[in-house]
Amino acid sequence: MLDALKDVVRKSSIHVCLINTGGCNGCDIEVVALLSPRYDLEQYGIYVHNNPREADVLLITGAVCEQWKENLQRIYSKAPEPKVVVAIGNCPLTGDVFNQEGSSVYAPVSDFIPVDAEIPGCPPRPAEILAAILAVGPDAIAAKGREKP
Amino acid sequence: MILPIGPIHPGLKEPVRLKLKTQGEKVINAEIDFGYVHRGIERVIEGKTWQKGIYLSERVCGICSYIHTQTFAETFEKIAGERVPLRAQYLRSLTNELDRIQSHFIANSTYFKAIEHETLFMYMLHLREPIMDAIELLTGNRVNMGWNVVGGVRMDAEEKHLNSIYQIITNLEKEYDKYVEMFEEGPLLALRSKDVGKMSKKDAIKGRAVGPIGRGSGLKHDVREEHHTYKDEFDWKVIWRKEGDNFARTMNRFDEITESIKIIKQIIENIPSGDVRKKITIPAGYADWRNEAPRGELAYMAETNGNLIQNISIRTPSIMNIDVCGKYMLQDVATVADAVATYASVDPCVACAERVIILNEKGEKTEFDGLHKVKYLQ
Amino acid sequence: MPMSSVIWYLYEFARKSWAESFAIAKTNAEIVETPERFRDFPQVFPEYCIACGACIAACPAPHAIKLIRSEDNTEEEGRTYPVINNRGCIRCGFCAEVCPTDPKTLTCGENHLIREDFTILPTEKMFVIDDYLCIRCKKCVKACQVEGAIVEEDNKIVIDQSKCIACGDCLDSCPVKGAIKGIYIDHVQEQKDIIKIIVNSLEESIEAKRDDISHLLDDEVYRFDFDIGDLVDRARSILSDDDIILDIFQKITDRLKLRIVTWDDEKCNRCQLCVNECPSGAITYNEEEDVVIRDAEKCLRCSICYQTCPFGVAGYYVARFLLDPLSLDTGVIHVTVKPSQLPIGAD
Repeated sequence: MLDALKDVVRKSSIHVCLINTGGCNGCDIEVVALLSPRYDLEQYGIYVHNNPREADVLLITGAVCEQWKENLQRIYSKAPEPKVVVAIGNCPLTGDVFNQEGSSVYAPVSDFIPVDAEIPGCPPRPAEILAAILAVGPDAIAAKGREKP
Repeated sequence: MILPIGPIHPGLKEPVRLKLKTQGEKVINAEIDFGYVHRGIERVIEGKTWQKGIYLSERVCGICSYIHTQTFAETFEKIAGERVPLRAQYLRSLTNELDRIQSHFIANSTYFKAIEHETLFMYMLHLREPIMDAIELLTGNRVNMGWNVVGGVRMDAEEKHLNSIYQIITNLEKEYDKYVEMFEEGPLLALRSKDVGKMSKKDAIKGRAVGPIGRGSGLKHDVREEHHTYKDEFDWKVIWRKEGDNFARTMNRFDEITESIKIIKQIIENIPSGDVRKKITIPAGYADWRNEAPRGELAYMAETNGNLIQNISIRTPSIMNIDVCGKYMLQDVATVADAVATYASVDPCVACAERVIILNEKGEKTEFDGLHKVKYLQ
Repeated sequence: MPMSSVIWYLYEFARKSWAESFAIAKTNAEIVETPERFRDFPQVFPEYCIACGACIAACPAPHAIKLIRSEDNTEEEGRTYPVINNRGCIRCGFCAEVCPTDPKTLTCGENHLIREDFTILPTEKMFVIDDYLCIRCKKCVKACQVEGAIVEEDNKIVIDQSKCIACGDCLDSCPVKGAIKGIYIDHVQEQKDIIKIIVNSLEESIEAKRDDISHLLDDEVYRFDFDIGDLVDRARSILSDDDIILDIFQKITDRLKLRIVTWDDEKCNRCQLCVNECPSGAITYNEEEDVVIRDAEKCLRCSICYQTCPFGVAGYYVARFLLDPLSLDTGVIHVTVKPSQLPIGAD
């Protein structure tokens, strides 16, 4: 009974923290565009707070630069359980065009923290991001919440 | 006391660390740390063919991605000593102005978010979406457009596309003044914006401020005045103001949007017919080119052997603008909240700025150690 | 006072436009719709692919395209085709622009200007190392500007095509003629046609001189010059690029070793030893007319009949070629034919 109630609550209020680990900024502004009245992320009960300490979902963009190698794990540990990591764009998945000879990126993100969902694209359209977050976020949060620690 | 803000913070959109030296609530001076999004993009472009390079230069920055491709293309057209067909020049200018509008909208919305005016923040994003539609309609993608090539543009704009862009622009123009008025005449907004983060014209020249930040402080400097298309084809004027505070910078961007709307209307009314792309062979050589990005002057310097890019150096406006923000604006700010708002008002694009070459004390190029800092503490 | 503000609020919310927009409020259709020009991830049509590698050479993203080859089965050989990795693709559409096949193997959104004169391949050539000729001096490895583009694998020097930028430095450094080859990666079918024409006409010209060469002794050679003027005209009618034609001529004359089998019916004693030995069934025995017939079309020039025949019916000669001077206008192919040094006899 309590679990069911918790499920409902967790599904309907998701706090999101956006972490740019070194990308071109394109994915970040597409997430900002999601806040716009047209897409209106908040009508699905999702709030972008940019504060890892109260985040349920970490949205990772960017290809993990030098300074993020340790800080990313620190931020991940700061987020309270249950938490879900969604990688937006190609940078966290493969490093995109930056993962070539001469650059200083350490993609993919999954080398550092576990990734629950992936959204490919450079950058993905807001509609694609929205669909992916809604498909994964609520249920994953609820399922992770049910796991025994 | 030193108050660190960032790299991940509700007030910041991009990872950068502000270290504010405070005395009570008052901010005495500030230090800005970079290095969180350094990817080495210039080094990646070197050694690639120039056809590939244009798609890589697009990924320097996601907000002003368009102007990077145009400057890249024009640098290589200068090496070849050619100009693209007139219709291609018009289409480039059209996309450039659309990109400028959306970039200014997002810059102003970030500022309004920083001063906690959620309503205008939402209004700005609401106005921005139709412009993004227009860009996607024309080029096929919203952010990284892949629309320019050396020699012209990749697709021709059909009559229906131009008509619907004209429609979008007229719709924007109709309701636009209402939102500008909200900011210009709102008393509470004026309290948060006027006389906050002031920078004098002298300081702007000393710190090499460019774009709306420099123009907000009275520097009448716009590289579009020297660009051949803008100089010869369109009737427009440089927007500038004298106040040099957050209000001036934000208003300057608002007024530039009006000017861009004017240019777009001229483009769609006068666009000539003809080819939009021509084949260009690139000889070995070196060239530099400057263009007006939404944030100011963007310069490309490139050297090629005819096939591969041997050397490329990009100077983006944000590096100077963030620099003057730390040096001159964040001195003796009344509150910490105002300091964050001032930082947001310079429209910092950290992804652009992170391509710094590190020199040691002797002036020699050294390896990037991942921890380089730009210090302003006196 | 409070009453008036309540009335004001009611008045404000009761406006017609408010009520109307409240009634029709719904999610915009624009959220899910993409415009017609939207450039999505590229679509692949494997059946058109000619495995030229242009898309890989063009792609700015390092992890986006891979050429793969499906497994052979009994009916057909495995097919080579590109596969798009969505996690690396940046949706620029450059692969679709450079794809040389018609119809396109790769399509990506609406690219109006995919026209022949704008199809700029970032590299004209693809460089490969001929392992047969390579002496493993590793001069090319030192000359290569790109880290890891030329590597040693299993005691072979190979060029990693995903890293190669086709600058041609390795070609200049190579001391062995023909060990590194720059292959033009466009107009593949035309190149094949030209090669076929050249080889066929060279063979015909040698066949025509059969009477001269069949009397050669073991240590004698026969030389004659072959004028390429006619061949060049035919090649130009297929492909207009002189650079590529000269490149093909040079490669053929450097590498080609034609084996010529002559057949002298008068010496034949109908022993039929060769009929069973021939691997391709090119030699048959016709019982009604009591003759052994060789079908030149089926012949593989393997020399087994020459080595088997006790009476010297089959003759076996090797022809080498040299184009000198290296030009299409004044060049002449020098042909050298000499008898094979292979042992003769059934055992």
